[in-house]
Amino acid sequence: MKKILVIDDEDIIRISCERVLAPHGYQVSVAASGMAGLELLEKECFPLILLDLKMPDMDGIEVLKEIKKRCLDAKVIMVTGYSTVETAVKALKLGAFNYIEKPFAPDTLLDAVREAFNT
Amino acid sequence: MGDVLRRYYRTLAAKLIIAVGLLMLVGSFVFWYAILYKQEKDLQSIAVRYSDSFIKFVKERTYSGMLTAQRPLIQQTLEDISIAESIEGVSIFNHEGATFFSSKKEDIGKLVNKETITCKGCHLEIEKPVRLMPYPQKWTIYKNDKGFRTLKVVEPIYNEPSCYTAKCHFHAPEQKILGFIEANLSLALIDKAEFRQGIALTGYVLIFFLAISASLGIVLYKIVSKPVSQLVSGMEKVAKGDFEHSVDIKTGDEIGALADAFTLMAKDIKAAKEQQEQWTHKLEAEVAKKAEEIQKTHAGMLQTEKLASLGRMAAGVAHEINNPLTGIVTFAHLMLRRVPPDSEDAEDLKVIIEQAERCAKIIRGLLTFARATPSEKAEVVINDILSRTIYMVKNQEKFHNIKFNINIDDSPRFIAVGDLSQYQQIFLNMLINAADAMNERGVVTIATRKIIINDKPFVEIEFTDTGCGIPEEDMDKLFEPFFTTKPVGKGTGLGLSVSHGIVKHYGGEVLVKSAVGKGTSFFIRLPLVESVL
Repeated sequence: MKKILVIDDEDIIRISCERVLAPHGYQVSVAASGMAGLELLEKECFPLILLDLKMPDMDGIEVLKEIKKRCLDAKVIMVTGYSTVETAVKALKLGAFNYIEKPFAPDTLLDAVREAFNT
Repeated sequence: MGDVLRRYYRTLAAKLIIAVGLLMLVGSFVFWYAILYKQEKDLQSIAVRYSDSFIKFVKERTYSGMLTAQRPLIQQTLEDISIAESIEGVSIFNHEGATFFSSKKEDIGKLVNKETITCKGCHLEIEKPVRLMPYPQKWTIYKNDKGFRTLKVVEPIYNEPSCYTAKCHFHAPEQKILGFIEANLSLALIDKAEFRQGIALTGYVLIFFLAISASLGIVLYKIVSKPVSQLVSGMEKVAKGDFEHSVDIKTGDEIGALADAFTLMAKDIKAAKEQQEQWTHKLEAEVAKKAEEIQKTHAGMLQTEKLASLGRMAAGVAHEINNPLTGIVTFAHLMLRRVPPDSEDAEDLKVIIEQAERCAKIIRGLLTFARATPSEKAEVVINDILSRTIYMVKNQEKFHNIKFNINIDDSPRFIAVGDLSQYQQIFLNMLINAADAMNERGVVTIATRKIIINDKPFVEIEFTDTGCGIPEEDMDKLFEPFFTTKPVGKGTGLGLSVSHGIVKHYGGEVLVKSAVGKGTSFFIRLPLVESVL
């Protein structure tokens, strides 16, 4: 079972990811904030994490740093708005696997996820 | 006529002539009167002396007749004497006033007029003949009935031994005065002469006065009136603004000096006025320049402020909208998989996806605009970026029917400070705009050149299209965000605004020249990095 954690403060993003990925055999867990996501990661390390960059309580970059401390093997795909491409680049430098831009089409998401699991 | 006369009277020359003329007239009159008066006195004393000798002559001629008491002889002698010119009459009368002899026979026996000098020459009162004058008056001058003067002389005939010893024994020896000889001598000749002389002198005075006045008038006209009127007309011309006019009076006197001084003054005034005008122009230009600068700065500030607030808002909104858009896109796709392909529902869902993607595009533009404040600065080669951008667009379908007229100099390499991707975005924007303006058919000219603005080197990148041009009324709004003339869905109205914001951020500027129907030129000027030149 390929487990994926989606950390995003936006309900619709979490639901969208779940709805797109679940039919393709992925087990999607969700967290509505950076803190909540990190708590889930305390229990188990997910192989793939979709992480929103801009969240109210904790910045995506900070969450990424924490993730990299706890789960070394976890792959992180940053989900970002166009305005934060630089931040996404910064995230890649900090060890993120990839990034996708909002709004994204289901295929874009699937492609990115597949790529992450295949490498 | 009256006005002309009055004006003439008011002239300096007229005043001087009148004053001098009056003075001369009074002087001449006094002179004339003094001469006539002196002459009159002289003639009078001559006449009196003449009358004295005349009386003596009468006495002498009648002497023998008197002693011999020959009355007809005496009367005849008097008549003879009176034939002479200017003798109006001679008579002899006694102390009581009874006339014994007279050259006028009708007067014989008559009493003399006692109220005249005849008696009153010696007697103070006729009634009391004893009272005598201390200084007897022997002669007087009166006017006769013809209007001429007559000299009347009365001389007493004193008693003497020969008289009272004569045979006739007519007079007693104690009688002191025997009678009087009275002669009336006409002064008509003198009067006539004096009258003629008076006329002549008056004539001389008048001629003299006229001659002096005329010559004075001419002289005054030449040395005063003419130069003064010249000066006045010169002053009027200068007062009207003709500073070139010079009053040319070369008399060498005070008026000449005045004219020279005036001409000099006019020149000074002209110079001062010119300088003042120059200053005014300079000041006006300066003020206009400053006003324009202030306006520009203000407009720029307003624009910057507007852009900044708009950018913040756009970023916020765009970011928030991205999430629901993701939902729309995702769920539309999910649904699309459930409906039969090529069905009406499938087509409708595709429209939803398309429109959502359009929203995403607009938002991307907004975010680009919001990010117009760049983060990274590096030295970039403008030539390379430009070439790469052109290469990129040439392969796109949009540009297939567009001819490129490229005039990019590869040396020197124009090095500017900025963000490579941003510059690329700007150039791309310019090219897309050009293609849109020409309906994707026409010529795009791209050129680079080095220019100097305020002693600083700039690179000017020109994008000229042969498109529709920009109407005058749209020029002001060109760089405003969301201003677009493109059809709905084709442009967001952010390209130029973003480009402008970026160029300005790096100290450059964007200029536009456009002619409706002919085309538009955009000039992007970026400051060059001097050290690399």
